[in-house]
Amino acid sequence: MRRAGWYLVTGAVAGFAGVLGFHVGGTAAPAVLGPPTRTPAASAAGSAPAATPSARAGGATGSARTAAGSVVQYGYGQLSVTVTVRGSQIVAVSVPVLHTIDQYSQQLAEQVIPMLRSEVLAAHGAQIHGVSGATYTSEAYARSIQSALDKLHVR
Amino acid sequence: MTAQPAPLTTHAEPAMGTVFSFTAVHGDRPPEAVRAALAAACRVLHHCDALFSTWDPASPVSRFRRGEAALGQLPPEFPEVLRECRAAKEASGGWFDPWAMPGGFDPTGLVKGWATERALAELRGAGVAGALINGGGDVAVFGSPADGPRWRVGIRHPWRADALACVVEVGQGPVASIAAVATSGPYERGAHLIDPATGRPASRAASATVTGPSLALADALATGIAVGGDEALAVVAGLDGYAAYLIRPDGSETDTGGIAFAH
Repeated sequence: MRRAGWYLVTGAVAGFAGVLGFHVGGTAAPAVLGPPTRTPAASAAGSAPAATPSARAGGATGSARTAAGSVVQYGYGQLSVTVTVRGSQIVAVSVPVLHTIDQYSQQLAEQVIPMLRSEVLAAHGAQIHGVSGATYTSEAYARSIQSALDKLHVR
Repeated sequence: MTAQPAPLTTHAEPAMGTVFSFTAVHGDRPPEAVRAALAAACRVLHHCDALFSTWDPASPVSRFRRGEAALGQLPPEFPEVLRECRAAKEASGGWFDPWAMPGGFDPTGLVKGWATERALAELRGAGVAGALINGGGDVAVFGSPADGPRWRVGIRHPWRADALACVVEVGQGPVASIAAVATSGPYERGAHLIDPATGRPASRAASATVTGPSLALADALATGIAVGGDEALAVVAGLDGYAAYLIRPDGSETDTGGIAFAH
């Protein structure tokens, strides 16, 4: 059997606790909470996948690259994801935008997030090759972790 | 192993209303051969989409649903998919039932995994050392990734698009065999989960993941567990080669054993 608890994809989530504390009711229009990201996005948020395959060296080290997702509605609120990789390894995921709709989801987030952050980076650097999840639509793909991975792989 | 990273090619292809992500580890194949194999794999996806799109009223599956085409008049993929559907219905204890869908026979819960497997076979046939295809959240692999023996697949957190519930390791088998990870849940397209007993939307899981040697079956079984919860999980626990991981609507977790969770 497995250990209890969930973990986030990342460790370094600067300013995340402050974002978490921000709570809005209802479904307000997307709003960006600053300061969001520090490095330029590798490609435009929500852009279409590259039309042609491109090669790269797997596992290559080098400078960190970051891709940002657009602000999205999810089941319990709004969020935006920014993923940073070095080579093939995720080194950071930040959530510059997170609004939870209700008390329940905020409680869930508060329970889950602090546990996860330290665990993943310490254990295996969150090195993953793909993300399995409920089938997303073409539109939802643009804001998935998988799309951030693909953007960073397809130069 | 040397420190030299293995060359690989990645690609993302919109098909079947979602996006398919490809990772191909070249091995001894030249880049142009890998690109050609990826193009062939994409053609397979679009071919399967054209056959089994329930959104296209002119597709063969739509004609079949309306009773306008008998099985003998349909492409050879149809008997194969029907066989897979019957096997999946039986294996899931009836929790996955394409014949119980409100609009008539609907193999959608199985076809994406089945098509992904066929696309993966193109890459295997081209002799690449390893590959992963992620069909909108359903993953099939063979061989090894560029940076280690086994593929690491994150399972998306049901309530947080930016978080993982866990990471599982799959693969490391012979190149001839594939490993699959399928996840289903109500968080992306809630109402698509239909309880075969009532014909109405139902979900007794926040997230259901199934691993095993066939993505077509894993895909169907994950759908079944997303509908049936613990009861369907118990059915999958009795299947050879398949394992399941369930996050209940209250956030508690359980699994059948047999899944290689990364620590």
